[in-house]
Amino acid sequence: MDWVIRTLGTAVGKKLLMAVTGLSFCGFLGAHLAGNLTLYGGADAFNSYAAHLHSLGPLLTVAELGLLALFVVHVVTGLVLFLQNLKARPQRYAVDRSAGGRTLGSRTMPYTGALIFLFIIYHLMNFHFVDKSHATIFAIVAGTFANPVQMALYITAMVVVAVHVSHGFWSLFQTLGANHPKYMPAIKILGLLFALVVGVGFGFIPIYVGML
Amino acid sequence: MSLDAKIPGGPLADKWDRHKFELKLVNPANKRKFNIIVVGTGLAGGSAAASLAELGYDVKSFCIQDTPRRAHSIAAQGGINASKNYQNDGDSTWRLFYDTIKGGDFRAREANVYRLAQVSGNIIDQCVAQGVPFAREYGGTLANRSFGGAQVSRTFYARGQTGQQLLLGAYSALSRQIAAGKVTMYPRREMLDLVVSGGKARGIVVRNLITGKIEKHAADAVVLCTGGYGNVFFLSTNAMASNVTAAFRAHKRGAYFANPCYTQIHPTCIPVHGTYQSKLTLMSESLRNDGRVWVPKQAGDTRPPSQIPESERSYYLEEKYPSFGNLVPRDVASRNAKEQCDGGRGVGDTGLAVYLDFADAIKRDGREVIAKKYGNLFEMYDKIVADDPYQTPMMIYPAVHYTMGGLWVDYNLMSNLDGLFVLGEANFSDHGANRLGASALMQGLADGYFVLPYTIGGYLSGVTPGEVGVDNQAFDQVATDAAGRIDRLLSVDGNRTVDDFHRQLGLVMWDHCGMARNDAGLEKAIGQIAELRGEFWENVTVPGSAGDFNQSLERAGRVADFLEFAELMCTDALHRKESCGGHFNEAYQTEEHEALRDDENFCYVAAWNHTGEDSAPDLHKEPLVFENVKLTQRSYK
Amino acid sequence: MTTKSIDITLKVWRQKGPGHKGRLETYRADNISTDMSFLEMLDVINEQLTLDGREPIAFDHDCREGICGQCGSVVNGRPHGPEQGTTLCQLHMRHFNSGDTLVIEPFRARAFKVVKDLAVDRSPLDKIIQAGGYVSVNTGGTPDANSIPISADIAEEAMDAAACIGCGACVAACPNASAMLFMSAKVSQLALLPQGRPEAAKRALAMVRQMDACGFGNCSNERECEAECPKQISITHIARLNREFIKAGIGSSVF
Repeated sequence: MDWVIRTLGTAVGKKLLMAVTGLSFCGFLGAHLAGNLTLYGGADAFNSYAAHLHSLGPLLTVAELGLLALFVVHVVTGLVLFLQNLKARPQRYAVDRSAGGRTLGSRTMPYTGALIFLFIIYHLMNFHFVDKSHATIFAIVAGTFANPVQMALYITAMVVVAVHVSHGFWSLFQTLGANHPKYMPAIKILGLLFALVVGVGFGFIPIYVGML
Repeated sequence: MSLDAKIPGGPLADKWDRHKFELKLVNPANKRKFNIIVVGTGLAGGSAAASLAELGYDVKSFCIQDTPRRAHSIAAQGGINASKNYQNDGDSTWRLFYDTIKGGDFRAREANVYRLAQVSGNIIDQCVAQGVPFAREYGGTLANRSFGGAQVSRTFYARGQTGQQLLLGAYSALSRQIAAGKVTMYPRREMLDLVVSGGKARGIVVRNLITGKIEKHAADAVVLCTGGYGNVFFLSTNAMASNVTAAFRAHKRGAYFANPCYTQIHPTCIPVHGTYQSKLTLMSESLRNDGRVWVPKQAGDTRPPSQIPESERSYYLEEKYPSFGNLVPRDVASRNAKEQCDGGRGVGDTGLAVYLDFADAIKRDGREVIAKKYGNLFEMYDKIVADDPYQTPMMIYPAVHYTMGGLWVDYNLMSNLDGLFVLGEANFSDHGANRLGASALMQGLADGYFVLPYTIGGYLSGVTPGEVGVDNQAFDQVATDAAGRIDRLLSVDGNRTVDDFHRQLGLVMWDHCGMARNDAGLEKAIGQIAELRGEFWENVTVPGSAGDFNQSLERAGRVADFLEFAELMCTDALHRKESCGGHFNEAYQTEEHEALRDDENFCYVAAWNHTGEDSAPDLHKEPLVFENVKLTQRSYK
Repeated sequence: MTTKSIDITLKVWRQKGPGHKGRLETYRADNISTDMSFLEMLDVINEQLTLDGREPIAFDHDCREGICGQCGSVVNGRPHGPEQGTTLCQLHMRHFNSGDTLVIEPFRARAFKVVKDLAVDRSPLDKIIQAGGYVSVNTGGTPDANSIPISADIAEEAMDAAACIGCGACVAACPNASAMLFMSAKVSQLALLPQGRPEAAKRALAMVRQMDACGFGNCSNERECEAECPKQISITHIARLNREFIKAGIGSSVF
C-alpha cells in the first residue's frame, strides 16, 4: 500500500484529496440547503423533514460518519498544505504584489477554512449535540435566531462559506483536471452562482426565522 | 605540422559510409572506461554529451550558464534545414550540399558539407522522436518554409523558436543521461585552459563561477562545443556570456585557428540606439519575404517616412538586384545597407539604419495575413523600440551574428591536437566564408548526434583509458597559470571598467574588420588593438575577489582573450587578399561591388598556429579541392 | 520613438551568499534613458559602482532577448517587472516614471537558494526534468519524421507548453512557491504528442514526486503563475498534468 501514500501524499495527491472532499461538501451543502428550505414551510414542514431524516436510522449514522471522515481528511490535508506552503517561502518579499491571478476567495482559503471549521463545531453544538427531548428542532432553531448576536454570527459564517466556495468550486474542477477552454468559463460562472446561492440561501434563513 | 584533413577516398556520396565502416570500434564493455569531457551544452555539446553517454562512455559535461538548457543555441529563431524533400519541390542531398557550398562562397570542404547534407534528414527524425513540436500542416505532416534565399522549401521550424525547441530536445536527452548517472553535469563552470601533454589533449581547467575555485578535470578526449566569437565586436546578437576563451586557450596550447576573419553580419537587426546598449536583437530574416527595404533618395533627408513620397524613395535592393530583390543573401544585403548609410542616406537618429517597410504587403494581403506571419516579430520590435511596424516602417541595420571561422578540425572533427574535438560554431568546418540561414542548427546537431559519436570511437580505440590523471604535473602547471592570470587581473586596480575596454575594442573591430575591410584599416586596427591591450593590463579595474561569484572577473578574463584574439582576426583578414562571403576587402570587388574571389591564390583554409606571446602566428594552408562542383562567381542580379 | 531621461531610486537586495543575511540597499539612478532595457539600467549602475570602488550588483542574464530564461528578478513585487508577457531583459525603462522607487529582489523560494544578490540557484528545475521530462529515445534508429501524423492543433498546443523558458518566474510569483506551471508545461507537451505517450504515466508520477523532494510548495490554483509567465503559459497545462497524474496514480500499473 506504499503506493497509495506515495501517490496521495504528493503535491497533486493532496490537492486531489482536497478536491474530492470539497466536491462532496458542495454536494452536502446543496442537500443541506434543500432540506433547510423546508423552514420556509413553517414549523411543521421543518420538523417533519427532520423526523424523516432521523427515520433513516443507521443510514443516517453512516452518512454522518462519512461526512466526519471527509471532514477530517479535508481539514488535516488543508492544514498540511497550509504549513508546507508557508515553509516553501521562508523569506518573504519586501514588496508583495499580485499580477491579477489571486481573488479574495483564493487568497483567504486557509483562513476562511479555519473559520468554517470553528463555525461547524459551534453549529453542531447548537443544533446537533443538543437536548432535543424537550423541544422540536424548529423551536430550537427559532430560539437561537431570536438572539440578534447569534443571527449576525450565522450570517457572517455564511458569507465566509460563500467566499470559500467561490474559489473552491472552480478550483476543484481544475485540480481534477477538468479545465477545458470550452467549459471552464461556464464552470467559473457556476462556481460564483453556487457561492451566491449558498451564501444567500443559508444566510437568509436566520433572518427569516428571526423575523417570525 | 602537416594539415591532413583525413578526407576518405572514393566518390563523394560514398565517403561517409565508407569511413564509418573503416573507423575502428571501441568494444561496448570498454566504453565505460573512457572518460570524455564535453564543454558547452548548446546544440552541438548537448547532443554530443547525450549521444556519447547513450553509447556507454563516461561523460563530464560543462556549461557556463546555471543550467545546460540556456546555451545560446536557444536564441536561433528561423529554422533548421534538411533535405527531406517532403514538399516534392526537387530537393535532394546533392542540392542542399550544393547550396551550402555555393552559399559559403566556395570556401568549405566538399566532403564535410556533403556529409552534413546526408545526415540532415536524420536530425529531423531524431528531434521529432524526442517530442520537438515542429510546425505541422492540417493533415498532420511536417510543415516547411523557404528560407535564406534557397529555391526549395526545406526549412523545418517551431514558430520563431526553433533553436529553443531543438536545444530543449538535446537538453532532455542530456537530462535523461544525467539521471542515469552516465553524464556528470558541471554547470556554472568556465573553461579557463586546456591541458595538453605528450601532444594530446588530456583535460581542462575550469573555474567554478560560484566559489571561484579552480578545478582540474582529466579525460581521454576533450570535446569543445563553445560557440562563436561574435562578441569580439562587443555589440552582436550573441548572448552576453558568449566568448572565445575556451577556443582561444586551446589555440594557445597548440590548436590551429582557422579562418578567423569569416564573420557573418546579419542584415535585419534592430539598430544601435545608445552608448549604454549591451546587445543587438535580431529580427528574423523571414521579414525580407514581405518587407521592402528603402532609404530616402536625398542624403540628409530627415523627414519622417510617412512624409517622403514614393518618388523620393530608393528601393535600392530591388533596383540593383531585379531578380532576387530584397531576398539577396545576408552578406550582400548587409553590405548594401552600409553603403547607403555611408552615403548619408541612412535614417533614424543615428543615420545608421534603413527602412523595412510592410505598407505594400499590408495593402496587398491585409493586416491579418501579415500579422499571422510576423505578428510575434512586430510585437518584439514594438516592445524594444516602442514603434508600431504596422503603422511606420521598421528600422533595421546589420549586426554581427555568427562566426564561420573556428578551430581547425579534420573530417573526424578532431583538431590538430590529438584528442581535442571541436563541434558546432566553435569549429570552422562546414559554412565556408558565409553561412546560409537555418544551417547553423543543422550543423550543430549533425556534429553532436551523428558525426562525433562515430569518429571519436576511431580515436579512442587507439588510446589507453585514464593514461594521464589530474595528479599529473601538466595539470598543476595549467591550474597555476590560470590562477596566476586571475590574480593579475585583480591586481591591476586601474581606472577603467572591463566593459569600457570591451566597448572600445568593439568599435575598432566594427570600423576596420566589420562589413567592409581594407588593408590600411586592418593595419591600423592591429596597432590600436595592441595599444588597447597594453592599456587594459595597466588600467583595468576588476572589483571583488577571486574566491567569489564575481561577474566582473568573468568578463575581464573573456575580454583579455578577445583583446588578443582580435589581432589574429585582423591578421587573417589582412592576409586574405580577396573578398569572399563574409570577408569583403574593398580592394577586391567586381564592377557591381560584389565580392571578388581569387581562387587561384586563396582557395584554401587559413589555419593559424600560435607561436608565442610576442611573435607572429604561423600560417598553415589546407588547400580546398573541388572535384564535384564548379567554382563560379555568385550573382543575384 | 521618443527618448527621454528619468531619475529613479533603486532598493536592491544585496546578499553575499546563501549563508549570509541580506538587506535592501538604496541607490540613485539618475539620467536613465527610457530606451534602456532594465538590465542595461543595472549595467549603468554597476559601472558606476565599480568606478566608485564598490562591488557591483550580481544578477543573472545571458541572451537579453527573452528566450534563455537566465534573467529574472522581482521588481516591486512582480517577477520580471510590471509588464505582462515580458522577461526582465525585454522590459524597458519607458515603463517607469521619474521619481519612481523600484524595489528589486531575487526570486524567493525555499528551493531557490540565493547565490549572490539577485542571482539564485534554480537547479531544482533541472532535477524535475531529470526525473522524467524527456522521451526515452536514443540517438539514431528513429522512424521517419512524417511516419506519425500529428494534428496541427495538437502540435500548436504542445508548442504553447514547450515555449517555457525555465526562468522560474512561476515559482517566484506563486504565493506557495510551487513549480507546478513549470512542471506541467513539460508533462503537458509530452502528453499531447504521441512520442511522449508510452512513458506518460511514469513521467507524471516521477516529476511530481521530484518537485516535492526539491522543497517546492503546493499548487492552490491562485493563477499568479500564468499571470506572470513571460511566455504566457496557461494553467490548462496544470489541469492536464492533474489528469495525467490521476490516470497514472490510479489507473496505470506504475507504482
